[in-house]
This record gives sequence, C-alpha cells and structure tokens, in this order.
Amino acid sequence: MSSQAFTSVHPNAATSDVNVTIDTFVAKLKRRQVQGSYAIALETLQLLMRFISAARWNHVNDLIEQIRDLGNSLEKAHPTAFSCGNVIRRILAVLRDEVEEDTMSTTVTSTSVAEPLISSMFNLLQKPEQPHQNRKNSSGSSGMKTKTDYRQVAIQGIKDLIDEIKNIDEGIQQIAIDLIHDHEILLTPTPDSKTVLKFLITARERSNRTFTVLVTEGFPNNTKNAHEFAKKLAQHNIETLVVPDSAVFALMSRVGKVIIGTKAVFVNGGTISSNSGVSSVCECAREFRTPVFAVAGLYKLSPLYPFDVEKFVEFGGSQRILPRMDPRKRLDTVNQITDYVPPENIDIYITNVGGFNPSFIYRIAWDNYKQIDVHLDKNKA
Amino acid sequence: MAGKKGQKKSGQGNHGKNSDMDVEDRLQAVVLTDSYETRFMPLTAVKPRCLLPLANVPLIEYTLEFLAKAGVHEVFLICSSHANQINDYIENSKWNLPWSPFKITTIMSPEARCTGDVMRDLDNRGIITGDFILVSGDVLTNIDFSKMLEFHKKMHLQDKDHISTMCLSKASTYPKTRTIEPAAFVLDKSTSRCIYYQDLPLPSSREKTSIQIDPELLDNVDEFVIRNDLIDCRIDICTSHVPLIFQENFDYQSLRTDFVKGVISSDILGKHIYAYLTDEYAVRVESWQTYDTISQDFLGRWCYPLVLDSNIQDDQTYSYESRHIYKEKDVVLAQSCKIGKCTAIGSGTKIGEGTKIENSVIGRNCQIGENIRIKNSFIWDDCIIGNNSIIDHSLIASNATLGSNVRLNDGCIIGFNVKIDDNMDLDRNTKISASPLKNAGSRMYDNESNEQFDQDLDDQTLAVSIVGDKGVGYIYESEVSDDEDSSTEACKEINTLSNQLDELYLSDDSISSATKKTKKRRTMSVNSIYTDREEIDSEFEDEDFEKEGIATVERAMENNHDLDTALLELNTLRMSMNVTYHEVRIATITALLRRVYHFIATQTLGPKDAVVKVFNQWGLLFKRQAFDEEEYIDLMNIIMEKIVEQSFDKPDLILFSALVSLYDNDIIEEDVIYKWWDNVSTDPRYDEVKKLTVKWVEWLQNADEESSSEEE
Repeated sequence: MSSQAFTSVHPNAATSDVNVTIDTFVAKLKRRQVQGSYAIALETLQLLMRFISAARWNHVNDLIEQIRDLGNSLEKAHPTAFSCGNVIRRILAVLRDEVEEDTMSTTVTSTSVAEPLISSMFNLLQKPEQPHQNRKNSSGSSGMKTKTDYRQVAIQGIKDLIDEIKNIDEGIQQIAIDLIHDHEILLTPTPDSKTVLKFLITARERSNRTFTVLVTEGFPNNTKNAHEFAKKLAQHNIETLVVPDSAVFALMSRVGKVIIGTKAVFVNGGTISSNSGVSSVCECAREFRTPVFAVAGLYKLSPLYPFDVEKFVEFGGSQRILPRMDPRKRLDTVNQITDYVPPENIDIYITNVGGFNPSFIYRIAWDNYKQIDVHLDKNKA
Repeated sequence: MAGKKGQKKSGQGNHGKNSDMDVEDRLQAVVLTDSYETRFMPLTAVKPRCLLPLANVPLIEYTLEFLAKAGVHEVFLICSSHANQINDYIENSKWNLPWSPFKITTIMSPEARCTGDVMRDLDNRGIITGDFILVSGDVLTNIDFSKMLEFHKKMHLQDKDHISTMCLSKASTYPKTRTIEPAAFVLDKSTSRCIYYQDLPLPSSREKTSIQIDPELLDNVDEFVIRNDLIDCRIDICTSHVPLIFQENFDYQSLRTDFVKGVISSDILGKHIYAYLTDEYAVRVESWQTYDTISQDFLGRWCYPLVLDSNIQDDQTYSYESRHIYKEKDVVLAQSCKIGKCTAIGSGTKIGEGTKIENSVIGRNCQIGENIRIKNSFIWDDCIIGNNSIIDHSLIASNATLGSNVRLNDGCIIGFNVKIDDNMDLDRNTKISASPLKNAGSRMYDNESNEQFDQDLDDQTLAVSIVGDKGVGYIYESEVSDDEDSSTEACKEINTLSNQLDELYLSDDSISSATKKTKKRRTMSVNSIYTDREEIDSEFEDEDFEKEGIATVERAMENNHDLDTALLELNTLRMSMNVTYHEVRIATITALLRRVYHFIATQTLGPKDAVVKVFNQWGLLFKRQAFDEEEYIDLMNIIMEKIVEQSFDKPDLILFSALVSLYDNDIIEEDVIYKWWDNVSTDPRYDEVKKLTVKWVEWLQNADEESSSEEE
C-alpha cells in the first residue's frame, strides 16, 4: 500500500497556505518553541485538521500517503516529541479501518460469505458499522468513486481525538481515587507532569484523603518545576516535602507508592519520563518492592519499540550542570532531560481507559495503531 | 552613501501578522554581516565571515535563528564585502520562503567602512520605525530575548533619555572565552546604567592600565561597579535615536569605542545607555580562537536548545549519540575507525580504516583515508585527506586536498582549494591560501578586483617548500610582517588558532590593535583595508581631496560661513572621499596660510595681524580635526611645514603668531607644545622658521615654572 503512484502529488495537492502552516510548525518544533506532549499533540491535530481539509486526493491511499509524509516530517523535526507521531498514527488507523470496512463490505456483497473479522478489542468498541454499500472494489478501477467521505471520517476522528486528549485527566482521576489510601506516603519524581498534579489534587479533594507527597528536587533541569509543584500541592492542603534526589533510596522504605508521569509509552511497556533520575527512582522502588504507578494518557502510547534507547532520550544543555570552562580541559558533561524506565520497573499503567500491566501495553497499542504505520519514513517501512 | 538597491521581498511572509499589529510594535533587526575586520583572512578573501561554517552551519544561520526565536518581524541584512554572495545565499535559504518567521531584506552597502557608516546609511534610508535590534552576523546565543526586551522597555519607561540597551554576558574566569576586544564597563549598580566605557589594551600587550573617569559622570550615582569580565556579544536594542546620533556625529565609527563612549560621556546629548547582564550563553565568533572555543562549546551542548541535532537547516539530518557525537545520515565509517567525543560528521563523508577522530568537526562529502589522526580540528566540506596523515588543531577549508603522510601541526589554516603534496610537514600556525594574497590584510578581494591584483601578484611564487611539488598554495602572511623571510616567531603566532598558553597573549592583529593607537592610525588602516576596489582610484582622490578641501575652506572664509557649516562641508568631503583627518588638516592649514599670504601680499594687514585674524577665527576648525596629543603634534608639524612651503617673508613670525593664536584660543595646550618641541624636526630647512618659536617656548616654560613656584 505504501508504493502508490500518487505519492508525488503531496506538495502540490494541498494549497500553499497549508504548506506555510506546516512549515511554520516544523520550524517551531525545531526551535523547541512548543513544549510538552499535551501542547504538541493538540497543535499537531489542529494542523492535521487544516491539512486534511485542504488536501486533494484521487484515492484514499493517496491521502494516507500524504498524511504519512506529514507525520514523517514532523517526527524528523523533533524526534523525541513522540506525541505528534502518535496522534498522526491514530488518525491513520481510523482511516485504514474505514478503508478496510469498505473493502470488506464490497467483498461481502459480491461473495456474501466473508465474515467480518474482528481483529482486536478496538474494533469491538467501534461505533456501529455503517450500512453496507453496494459497489465495486475501489482499488480495482480508478474511475470508481468511493462513496465514503474520508475527509469527513478523518476530521471526525481528529475531533474525537481532541476531545479524548482534553478529557484525559478525568478518566485518570476516576481511577486515582481508588488507588490512594489514607495516611499514605507517595513519592513522585516527575514534578513537571500536569497529569500527576491533577491526579493528586483530585485524590485529595474528591475523596478527602490525607496523604503526604514527596517530590524529588529534579536537579538540574526541573528544580524550579519541583518547587512550583510542591507549592501547588501545599495550596490544596496536601502535606508536601521536596527531597533531594540523592535521598530517594533512604526514603524509599517509608514510601507507599511511587507515581510517575510519562512522556511516551512504548509497546514493550517501557516509558520515557520527562525528568532525569526517574529511572533510578524506579530502580530503588523495585529494590523495596514499592509499587510504581505510571500515569499516561492514551495519546502517549507509541507503537515504537525502544531498541536504541539513546535515540529516544533527549539530551539537554551542559550549562546547567557545570560552569563554563576551557573546552580543552573541561569535563564532558551529559545532561539527560528525559529518562527511560524499563517495563520491569513499572507495576501498572494508569490510562484514561483503565489500568494495565506493562506487559499488556502492546495489546492496547495494536488496538489503536496499525503495524503498517509504525515507521512513517518510507526508507524504513 | 546610498548603496545600490538589493532589496528582496519575501512573498506573503507575515500572513495575518500585519493586520492586528501596530507599526510601532513590529520588531526590526539590523544584522551587520560585515565585521570590518580581517581576522579570518585568508579565508575571508573567498567567503564573507558570516558564511563561514561553524559546525557545518554558516554562521549567519545562528544569528537568524536567534532573531526568529526572538520574534522579530523584519530583518535587514547589511552587506558590504562579498555582498553578492550573502544576497544569493539568503535568496536561496529558508528565510526567503513564505513561511519564514520574518521578512528579510538585504541592503547592499558596499561603501560602508565601519558600523558608523552603516548607521548613517540606515538613517538616510529611513527604514527604522521604532526600536530595533542591532546584532552582528556572527553571534551564537541562547539568551531569552523576551527578558532582555522587557528590561529594555522597563528602563525606557523609567528613563526618558535611555536610547540603547547592550547585552553583556558574564564570562568565566577562563580567559579564552573572553572577547578579543577587552573593555571595561562602569555600571551603575542599582540600574545597571552604563556610566563609562573604555577599551582595554589586549592582554598581549601585557600593559597595566587604568581607567580615568570624569567625576562629573558619577554625579547622582550611589554605587557603581567596574567590570572587565563581560563578554560583549554585540546584541543591542536601540531606539530610533541611535542612527540619528550617528548621523549627527560624523566621526563616530565603531559602535562601542566611539558611540557608546561618546554618548555617555557627552553632556550635550544627555542620553543614557543601559547594560543587560545575563548568565546565558552569548558569544561572537570574532577570531580563530573564539571560533575554536565556540565550536567546542556548541558540540558540547552549552548553547542548548540551539544544538546541532535540532537540524536548523532544512537539509540537515544530524542525530545525536552519547559523548556528544553527531552524525548525519549516509556517513560511511570503516569498521576499525574510532570516533571520539565531541565530534560532528557531515553526510556523504567516508572515513577509512584505523582512523581516529576526536573533538573535531568534519564537513560533508569528505574523503578521509586510513590511519589518520584528527584531533581538535575543523575540516570543511569536500576535503580529501590522504592516508597516514596527522592533523592536530588545524582548520582545513572546503575543497582542500591533502596528500598522504601530511602532518599539520598546531594552528595551521589551509585555505579553500589548496592542494598539499605527500609527505609534507607544516609548521605551527602556517596559513595557506590557494590564490596569492600578498600582504593581503590590506585588501579584500572582490570579483571585480581579482584580475588586476592577479597581475600585480603574478611574481609571487607558489610556496613549494610548504605545499610540495604538486601542491597549490601560497603562504599567507598577515599584514604585520613585512618581509616573509624575516617574519619572526612573534609575527607568526599572531591571530592563530593555536592553543598554546603563551600565545594566548599574542592574540590578534588587524584593526583592533590599530584601534589602540592613535585615531589617525586607525583611520588610515581602515582606509587601506577597505578601499579594495578603489585602491587604484584612491590616489587620484587624495589629490582631489587636497584641492577640494582647500577650496572648501577658502570658500568658507571668503563667504564668511560659520564654523559649523565649514566643518560639516569638510566632514562630508572627508567621508565621501574616505580620507583621514591628517589630510583634512593639511588642506585646512594650506588654505589658512594662503589666506594669510593673500592679506600680506595685498598689504591689507601686517603679517602678525593677518595670522591672528585668520587663526583666531578659523583655528577652531582644528578642534574638530584633531583629537589627541599625537594629532595635535601632527597638526603643528604640518603648520611648520606648510609655512616653509608657502615661502613667506618672515616665516618665523608667521609660525610664532599662528602657534600663539592657537595657544590663546585653547586649541593647543602647553603640554602638547612641549612634547612637540622636544621631538620637533631638526632639519636645517626648518631652522629659520623656528627662530621665534624657540624663544616663545622658553618663555612659556619659564612662565610655567614661575607660576608653579609662586603657588608654592
């Protein structure tokens, strides 16, 4: 499906106006002017909406190719912003499902034997199938027009996804209440995660539980965030302590649960978290058999597999760690901004569709994505 | 001074931005692509400095990237040397595409010789509508510009006389990152208003210096700090007054030495300049040493989020690996080669077996052979390096070819298209260019001028002893050394890439060292360096100037213009012909003496009265033609010389009266007279002239002693 004759149409197909928007966004990604996976996901979807409304195509496969190209250029612009690739793959999956249905309905009418294949849980949750339309297999002749309005399908898919992303915290908070007990000590090493913040605040306010939160300092990149995070929690009458990163091991025996925010969740159940040092915290927790909860919206789920962790971790500036020195005589500094946590160190993922074991994550991933879209780059596919 | 128009509008660049934005709010930026310096010779003979690659990205990109992030809406690129190259580059770059974050316009200003000229040109064009960023085209920074702008606006509200904000970054204790043009800033501690600015001598001179601050400047200042640890990264936010001030002060040339110092120590202007201090990374690539340091800093991610793997250019494909290794796609590495820390490799490059690379930048499509050692070096695009070579702390520009077994020692600079034969061993700090550039510091090539210089320099032979029999390359000597054979070690070590500690102190030649000397010297060197295309013509012009200048002064005297008008005319003439104050003084004095001669010849007045009349009225001109001791001494020498030339009846009386009248009008001070007298020429043909002056000077000295003894 990837080798279509129409692929070259992409740049000309959309009007230049959309191209301007796309390239502005690419430039912004490159300059790291859009921060946070939530913002990136939403902006990507808005962009995709404009792109699809302006796109011209002869066949739905052409449209899919165009979207893949777009996704590829966005991923290249900021390789560690996984959420923009994720949402594009989600929309691709929606389109491909629709195509599959159409093809199937054609075959059903012509042969009337084939049984609708339920490939996954996702299909079970899909909205009821549209009435079958009697027509020929569209891939056979180009003259035939598909009656399904793919533009409409895609845009509806985008709108649904935007709603989902915006309401993700609600879903997670529902589960939060049951997880936190009274007088429990929690530790979070990801103070920049808004999901974690809301999760804790809801637990405090809705169920009126009293608990203590330890926040790691997150030196050097997140110290400021940690302080703000602690302040916000304190304002909601949650007992909060900011602890040095180095004290985590000593404190772990007292901690009841570790809660981490995520930036991306891979199919193997590993995660990229948005603060360095999270990996060692999870390692400590494992040592003490303390449960580690990872909170993640569904859009953070990525169909990629972390074969080369180094490629997925982002490296920040050196200036935060050491003062400037003679480049010929200085120490080499490496400042990881994000950190990879392997699946064995995470006990459960709390998503907006429920809690899952890391080993089950692949299943949810294939409910939402298509294998064929894992690599948007044509050279790798 | 109106340059040719090279304006290029980008299509529908600012979609939707124009409509809801006041013209006032549109942030403009002026980028000075030319540094008016020659530190990067011989490479800048081929390419302008701002297009030289740092970590395989042309320098200008970093500046533009900074402006894009700063949210600038309109950028003016001022191009002087190699203007066409810059214009072509910008036209084909992403900044000229419809989705560019700002509208970019190149302004050709080939006549500009200094920042002052550019500012005057800007004022003439009237394109500046409000506050604007003035930045040089070689800045690398990750400062948060919004904070600086906020500071600027805050200070603007507090202080109506505030006209400009300089961005100064705190340097480390480590000297190499410091600017090559050291300076002391005296700042008001509470408001960080710049009270005083002074250039410091280069560390190389090992001079101890003091700064003198006029006590009046410290009025109303509670507490002040004197700092010389600030890197001046040449990012300024200026109000629209700044070009006007340059316009009013014809003699302002550089932004710091003339403008900042002039403005803040001037009572008449009463304007203030503030400094914004930051800890963030902000530097200028202004010499080989800073180039070296900044490259390493950039690869070591000290300028994050501006890093190589954010691929700011569209065709870049860098990815990051730990230990700060950056590789583009399609790099071919042999199995046994070793890539060490802090290294960037461009696409299409092939690296052979057993080669070791560390702390280096390698461009695109390079062919690096086997068993080569590359350390701390910079290799630009399309280079070929033969087997078993050793390259240590050197720079190889694009398209250069090195044979096998070549050894480049510390600090070598190999120019564009140079070929070096097998088995050559290059001494430290050798600089080689592919075309002959004899004493090249004094001229920069431009397309038009190439031919005539080639003829001039045909006699210069290939440096066979260095590049080998099959090599192509000429030794480049910086302007300091006059003779190639006798070039001393010291001369060679000037302005190098070298990292030897001793040499740090012998850091630089070129203009900045000339700046330290007298004004006269500086303007002369500016003249000689930048008159590239008009080298031949300039001799005519010098003569022309003398005639024109004399005519101007005579006209002024006959029509009884006021002083200011005369000065303005002279200055305009000086600027347009690009001559120094020395010439101006000669012209003025000649004209004055002719006038005196005329009076005496027509017997209107006696010799003494004539001199007094003329010099009392017009001597004040010199106040704006000479600015320091040496120039006054020069002035007096000229007077003496011209009096002899004019062959008066009583030359001694004329000189005496002229000097007395200048002295009485407070134009020349006693000290200067003594100094002049001590060093005055002993040529016998001046003996007659000096007769009366001898007595006068003696009298002056006696009077001085008496008065001082009386005081006691």
